[in-house]
Amino acid sequence: MKKHVSMVRFSEHISDILSYGGLVLCIVVFSILSQGRLFNAYNIKILVQAVCVYAIMAMGAIFIYSMGYMDISVGSQVGVYCILCIVVTNKTGSLLAGFLTILALSLICGLINGYVAVMLGLPSIVTSIFLMSIFGGAQLLIMEKLAINSISIEYDMTFFKSTEFMIFVIVVIALISIYLYNYTQLGEYVKSIGANELATSYSGVKTVKWKVLAYVFFGICVAVGAFMLTARTGSAGQGTGTGYAMDIMVALLLGGMPLSGGMKSKMSSSLIGSFTYVILSNGLNLAGVKVEYSYVIKAVVFLAVILVTCRKKDGVLPR
Amino acid sequence: MGEILLEVKKMNKKYGPIVALKDVDLTISRGEVHGLVGENGSGKSTITSIAAGMQPRTSGEMIFLGEEWNPSSMIEAQHNGLSMILQEANTIPGCTVAENLFAGRENEFAKWGFVNSKKMNKAADEILDKFGITHMRGKDPIDQFGFEDRKLIEIARAVDDKTEILVVDETTTALSLEGRQILYKLMDDMIKRNKAVIFISHDMDEILEKCTILTVLRDGEIRGVLNEDEIKSVQSLGTIRQLMVGRDIGDKFFRGDFDSGHLDEVALEFSNVSGPNVKEFNLQLHKGEIVGIGGLSGCGMHEVGKMGFGMENIDKGHVRSGGHEISSAKEATDNKIGYISKNRDTEALILQGSIDTNITMASLADISKAGFISPKKKAKLAKEQIDLLEIKCKSGKQWVNTLSGGNKQKVSFAKWIAKGSEIVIMDCPTRGVDIGVKQAMYELINQMKCEGKAILMISEELSELIGMSDRLIIMKDSKISKEFTRSESLSESDVIEYMI
Repeated sequence: MKKHVSMVRFSEHISDILSYGGLVLCIVVFSILSQGRLFNAYNIKILVQAVCVYAIMAMGAIFIYSMGYMDISVGSQVGVYCILCIVVTNKTGSLLAGFLTILALSLICGLINGYVAVMLGLPSIVTSIFLMSIFGGAQLLIMEKLAINSISIEYDMTFFKSTEFMIFVIVVIALISIYLYNYTQLGEYVKSIGANELATSYSGVKTVKWKVLAYVFFGICVAVGAFMLTARTGSAGQGTGTGYAMDIMVALLLGGMPLSGGMKSKMSSSLIGSFTYVILSNGLNLAGVKVEYSYVIKAVVFLAVILVTCRKKDGVLPR
Repeated sequence: MGEILLEVKKMNKKYGPIVALKDVDLTISRGEVHGLVGENGSGKSTITSIAAGMQPRTSGEMIFLGEEWNPSSMIEAQHNGLSMILQEANTIPGCTVAENLFAGRENEFAKWGFVNSKKMNKAADEILDKFGITHMRGKDPIDQFGFEDRKLIEIARAVDDKTEILVVDETTTALSLEGRQILYKLMDDMIKRNKAVIFISHDMDEILEKCTILTVLRDGEIRGVLNEDEIKSVQSLGTIRQLMVGRDIGDKFFRGDFDSGHLDEVALEFSNVSGPNVKEFNLQLHKGEIVGIGGLSGCGMHEVGKMGFGMENIDKGHVRSGGHEISSAKEATDNKIGYISKNRDTEALILQGSIDTNITMASLADISKAGFISPKKKAKLAKEQIDLLEIKCKSGKQWVNTLSGGNKQKVSFAKWIAKGSEIVIMDCPTRGVDIGVKQAMYELINQMKCEGKAILMISEELSELIGMSDRLIIMKDSKISKEFTRSESLSESDVIEYMI
């Protein structure tokens, strides 16, 4: 009987064990493979810079994934935001104007993602494909009008790309996300929408309103993430943002986030997952693995995680 | 006693941890109408559905016509002589009467893969004539007929010359007197031809009249078998009830009083409400009043409940509470209306969520202070309900999908008690709940009435409607067909008349 109970405990926490264990394993393995270079001062700076963008967007994405939805328009959104931020900043000379422009745009996207899907009775993935195409087109169009391959910011970004500032932003967004997710109606409702949307609305909850709010918060996180990416790279072009939507999904899965959302979702998945993903990429690089092989290794790791966490009943794949 | 047709030995059936049948032994012999009685969930339909090939057993043995019996489908069972008429409507919409009659047997009329529909229609007409059904023809589309006629088609489909055992599972509830006569005639005919009938019904009168042997079930176990003499004896009804319930439930099972009084204030008002499957529905539900709504499953009563909670569109008319129009679940809950859904697992509960989450789901806005929800406050609110309703669980963190049906239902009640709802609409509040919890529910509902709460109880179980309601509204074909006031003399047969 006792054994049975401990088995139950184990299976309940399997995704926790795997995600934390995965992170620890990554750290240990790559510390050894890179002969300690993983944690020298220079590399830590690189890690923080890389984690920053992923973590900020992943924390916002948790709200969407908790509902069992996903947003694949993030990549092209990020691309357009980065370019627009630079264009507006260069035109007006004000970084704030640049940031506010992309923030406003991201809020509009949040509203579209939330409302349009509900009003037209479409699954959210459809509106997100729609937005992905629109933004992808916009990105190409803007770059074509600018008639250059990449555009650089003419504002002094030294402060904004300092490691201290990046850590500060991660902490602020983390505190806000944790509060919203664990101690407010928004957090409770996104989880219950993911677990059973019908029962949630039968409890007198206006699910549309909370869906839109979740998308709006995600939008803010994407805007902040795009801003940090701009600060980090100082420039943007046609390829900016590519792959971010999938990277975030992979990071969340590595962090133990169920793709079907629901009550098992946890905010910690975003941070754990982002760190694991970044250390995995960075560590492979440091260990001298060629880029083309590192993709294969990442794919294998990804598949392994999915196999262990999803192939059980009540697993984490979308319904 | 005639030759043994079907023998069930030590049969068990489990659904996960839930035991539906426990070591059941049953023998069906030629020439008998074998009655199965028991409360809902006692295992009557489980036995017959396993015998008819609808689901597999967990363990045990069945012997039919002297051979090992393991039907893999209803069609296979029917082909070999064991047919079943189901509780639920089971005709295929969009097809003709003949296509329904010969569903799964089209091959008999097929050549080169094409069905000869003329031949099939003709064969259908012959069968219908044999049953004395003259108003339906093989070529007619099934959709133009009502619930009862479709039931007759099912009956005609279930029986042919090869049928050795016919299972009649709560079919009569759906039938009018005429339809019942057709069914009774068929049962008599089966007996005359030395076949057997397994008869499941909640109507004790017909059970006592028709059965030659009676098996009583409770909680998946056989509690007693009555032979023909015992069935016909005077005290048989008392014996059967005692066996069914297992203890003397006394008079306090439902409400003890027959006072239909209530407060004057109207809590919820339907005025001339029309919508999907509901026509011109009027009702004033008062504080401290229990209004029951009964009818057959397609009569529109479930829609009325959803309309009262703002979850069903209203084409005409108004639903109001305290001067406010109710047109969404949010408005309903803001006006202290609660709704316990019939579809517990899909509409009322988040199965993949904790008891705490479920109980507090409707109250989060109330306990949040400046947007902050204190986890302590949340756990306390849930704990109070767990204690109050005696929900059996390890802690509030336990997931609802691990609870039994009765405790699940308690959680969906608790959600609205925690919210402090003054008006509670309950759709089939005791569906799939064992008798102990049922009694607790009735006590709770009565207590809510005494506290001045208004209760709209929609149910498919006549006994609880009659036993609990101050006023009982019967619906038929989307309309109110009759209203009864609480009285000791009201019987189920008085009520059924207005349902069908």
